[in-house]
Amino acid sequence: MGDQKRHKILMVSDFFYPNFGGVENHIYYLSQCLLKLGHKVVVLTHAYGNRSGVRYMTGGLKVYYIPWKPFLMQNTLPTFYGTLPIMRTILIREKISLVHGHQAFSTLCHEALMHARTMGYKVVFTDHSLYGFADVGSIHMNKVLQFTLADVSQAICVSHTSKENTVLRSGLPPEKVFVIPNAVDTAMFTPAPEKLSHNEIVIIVISRLVYRKGADLLVEVIPEICRLFSNVRFIVGGDGPKRVRLEEMREKNSLQDRVEMLGAVPHARVRSVLISGHIFLNSSLTEAFCIAILEAASCGLLTVSTRVGGVPEVLPDDMIVLAEPDPSDMVRAITKAISILPKIDPQVMHLRMKKLYNWHDVAKRTEIVYDRALGCSNQNLVDRLSRYLPCGGWAGKLFCLVMIIDFLLWRLLQLWQPPEEIEEVPDFSLPNSECPEFKEDGSLSLR
Amino acid sequence: MDSSINENPSPTRSRWRKVAYGGMQPGFDDNHTDETFLEAMVMNTNVVKRSMLKVMQDSVSISQYLCIVALVILVWTCTLRSTLNENTLLLLDVSLLGLGFLVLILTAEMMSLNLLFQYFINISFFTTGLYVLAPIYQTLTRSISSDSIWAVTVSLLILHLFLHDYSGSTIRAPGALKNPNLTSCISLNASVVASVFIASRLPSRIQVFAIMLFSLQVFLFAPLVTYCIKKYSFQLHLWFSFGLMVLTLAFVYMLHRLLFVLLLGLLVFVTVVCPYWLIRIQEFKFEINGPWDEAKLCFDITE
Repeated sequence: MGDQKRHKILMVSDFFYPNFGGVENHIYYLSQCLLKLGHKVVVLTHAYGNRSGVRYMTGGLKVYYIPWKPFLMQNTLPTFYGTLPIMRTILIREKISLVHGHQAFSTLCHEALMHARTMGYKVVFTDHSLYGFADVGSIHMNKVLQFTLADVSQAICVSHTSKENTVLRSGLPPEKVFVIPNAVDTAMFTPAPEKLSHNEIVIIVISRLVYRKGADLLVEVIPEICRLFSNVRFIVGGDGPKRVRLEEMREKNSLQDRVEMLGAVPHARVRSVLISGHIFLNSSLTEAFCIAILEAASCGLLTVSTRVGGVPEVLPDDMIVLAEPDPSDMVRAITKAISILPKIDPQVMHLRMKKLYNWHDVAKRTEIVYDRALGCSNQNLVDRLSRYLPCGGWAGKLFCLVMIIDFLLWRLLQLWQPPEEIEEVPDFSLPNSECPEFKEDGSLSLR
Repeated sequence: MDSSINENPSPTRSRWRKVAYGGMQPGFDDNHTDETFLEAMVMNTNVVKRSMLKVMQDSVSISQYLCIVALVILVWTCTLRSTLNENTLLLLDVSLLGLGFLVLILTAEMMSLNLLFQYFINISFFTTGLYVLAPIYQTLTRSISSDSIWAVTVSLLILHLFLHDYSGSTIRAPGALKNPNLTSCISLNASVVASVFIASRLPSRIQVFAIMLFSLQVFLFAPLVTYCIKKYSFQLHLWFSFGLMVLTLAFVYMLHRLLFVLLLGLLVFVTVVCPYWLIRIQEFKFEINGPWDEAKLCFDITE
């Protein structure tokens, strides 16, 4: 492989393992596949508990847990300039060529992108979430996003709906925003070895039991379905503030023997829960992409979901039954799903999913975005300030001020600790390490 | 650089689809944007066309309550200046109580003897409590100067007016469904504290009792009474508010010229300028909705 084509990427987000969720998953798999493609990938996140410092993960993925404490929902306290010295040291030490930030909630990501731009690096940003435009919280978040995206080289969204949302929120030209969906590790989510009998139909729900995930819809839908079909059983995995309501519903309708509540399901056990059912039910009220649907489909389950956000784009129409987010329509959709269930073969569905989603494909598409970002012209401070100014009457000037101070601090650091004094890390490559989960993929050998 | 990815572009270009599955669509980049982009976006769906007259009529509730508070301050000032003695005050209390009850009985749909008795019991408990506590209130702020008390009272009243729930009443009629929200409770508490502060500047115990009873009656029950009137007949509500405004302005005029001008200005601002302003800035309303919005549940969650 040519060394000039090799990118040295720094992934930045507040959200990484040992925390668990869609973003963490995305960063991990994307990094693994990029490493496979011959790039160098370093992950930067904040310290989790006493996990601070440098760690290595599978395939030589280096993770910096910088010693900043999270203060709210795993987010670091926004200090604007506090992270500049350590960020600069890491960027120079690792000879980074491109910074890739993830998730709009992550303060660390915003700060990293700001510093990286100040220091003249090319930056890419991936947005994993959807936001409305009405409430105060959204307005604030949208302003922050506008600030970060004003000067970003390229942006990535996980679905077309998310792209529309991001373009509206940030005012970025649509050509700069790429749609690269999440994927699923189909080798991990395989269907049950033998087909389940259809005498009893099991509907699986795995989600956090919170308002945004539509737990209140479940409370309305489950008793109705149990009344209509005597051979349907529910398995509900997940925990949250709405669990009490679900349990109340179970008591009230005496469905204890037909609705099983598992509590929180660790990710490693999700497959074993999924393969015990026929239908996967997702009742989210908002969703940018929904990896849970992919995992269920990969296990060969027919999915019933609310038609919100990016969900309609996720699966072909014959693999998913969509419903409006109101109880009667969801009951209709579940009824329809039960009627087409005999035609569904989990093994066939799994094979189809293998063709539809693949992390290697995601990595290759992301690589194109990196190439584009590196192809962008270099700009000096004044050019970049002119991008911040139109962001709003007051906000524009404030953004400019923040950037100017960041620039001055960076220059001060240059004097205080010249880049030549920072020791560079020697690169090492693992001799042909095969991670077991990627072994079966043949399409990788194009390099 | 992207042509390397589309290895063999098919001669018949398949149409681009708005889907996330199946990898990169042949012949199209990931940043492909076509006319379907943002087609599901809708703008300004929830904007209501408002008419000037309707907004002005609705704003009457606010001016009415402003007048009620102005009247309370007037009574406070007169009592502190000893123009009102305790007998007049007590008479005022009793007549207000009687009038309030009369309005409640006349406008309420379901009023039983039992409920009335309940009200009566509550009020007698309330009055007794106040009477017992009056000596404590009287000496509460003895060590603080009158200026500070007035300053705090004025700020509390401004807070009260700012957070007051003008569309309903914090004290609900029995059997009301919705609970009052946090801001209206803060508002109510601010007014009660203001009353206690004012009462604590008075010389005699009976005066303290009378003024406390008066203030609490007004702050707790005036919103309920006006709300009942408004629900009963909007016409009556308008006339009542108008009468109240004239009465207040007259009293304030007798007290102080400058205050009169200020109050008049405030009332005009609230009933004429603000509605006009609201309608003007409606033009700038820009609301975006689309598939990215969180879905709203179409049923009530009964916890």
